[in-house]
Amino acid sequence: MHIPDGFLDPISCAVTYLIMIVYGVYAYLKTKRQWTTENISQITVLASAIFVAQMLNWPIPGGTSLHFVGGALAGILMNPYFGFFIMFLVLFVQCIIFHDGGITTLGANVLNMAIIDVLVGYALYKLMSKLGKENKNYKLIGAFLGGWMGITLAGIAAGIEIGISPNFAYTLSVTVPVMAIWHFVLGIIEGLITAAVLAYLLSKAPHMVKG
Amino acid sequence: MKIKRYWILIGILLIISPIFGIILADMVGYHEPLDVAAEKLGLQDLTEQMNWTPFLDYTVPGIPDEIGYIIAGLIGIFVIFIIGYILQYLAGRRK
Repeated sequence: MHIPDGFLDPISCAVTYLIMIVYGVYAYLKTKRQWTTENISQITVLASAIFVAQMLNWPIPGGTSLHFVGGALAGILMNPYFGFFIMFLVLFVQCIIFHDGGITTLGANVLNMAIIDVLVGYALYKLMSKLGKENKNYKLIGAFLGGWMGITLAGIAAGIEIGISPNFAYTLSVTVPVMAIWHFVLGIIEGLITAAVLAYLLSKAPHMVKG
Repeated sequence: MKIKRYWILIGILLIISPIFGIILADMVGYHEPLDVAAEKLGLQDLTEQMNWTPFLDYTVPGIPDEIGYIIAGLIGIFVIFIIGYILQYLAGRRK
């Protein structure tokens, strides 16, 4: 769901860049004392793994398909603020080195995948963890729902962004349903991967699950 | 997770990445919901007109797409680690 250059009008680009910067500063202030060597290496390791995982497209016969995004997973494994920086690192490198996602639309892509996906995923995970009193199965259900709903809401946000355009009328009624329905359906795969990675790390390397 | 296991995982994902990212993607005519929505609106993708990078779309000039995809993956990981090391350095200096 990387929005390329050309899809957004200048005002949307400016507003989403502003949101990215303000949230980035906020996330930094929230984590100011936690930028330890250990946390930075976990950020780097997770960003590189998510970057590679995003290269594996899900080939769905019929055409319309997706790839892993990983924002919910990033938030769950660290916290939503470090999750932002993990996803920002991925999106920044994708944009600058591979032009995957535009430079004028970087703010929008960060808003969708580094802020919305991360926050929604983290919130649902935390909610389920609490409901289940830290029971592992509840955590896994939380990760599944987080990955699923995170990518769905990020997709809807992208639909709103490309649909809000001064040049067209009624565009939101076109873009939002397309994005919502497809991401809701395909997002199940994101949820399953998120829960599977969490299950693996909880059993093999619980110290890597900090969220 | 042991760091060795991490590199094995990254290696496996990189090696199989062209199967999913190039071969099967071409076979099914990979496109995302975003492309579907944009097409309905007639939005114009300006990626190629305003491109600056030789590695556009995870390709490497002069190298077949499948191999280029793996090399592009390695370049991406390398750049992420460089940024990580710079952050480590800055964090170390702050102390």
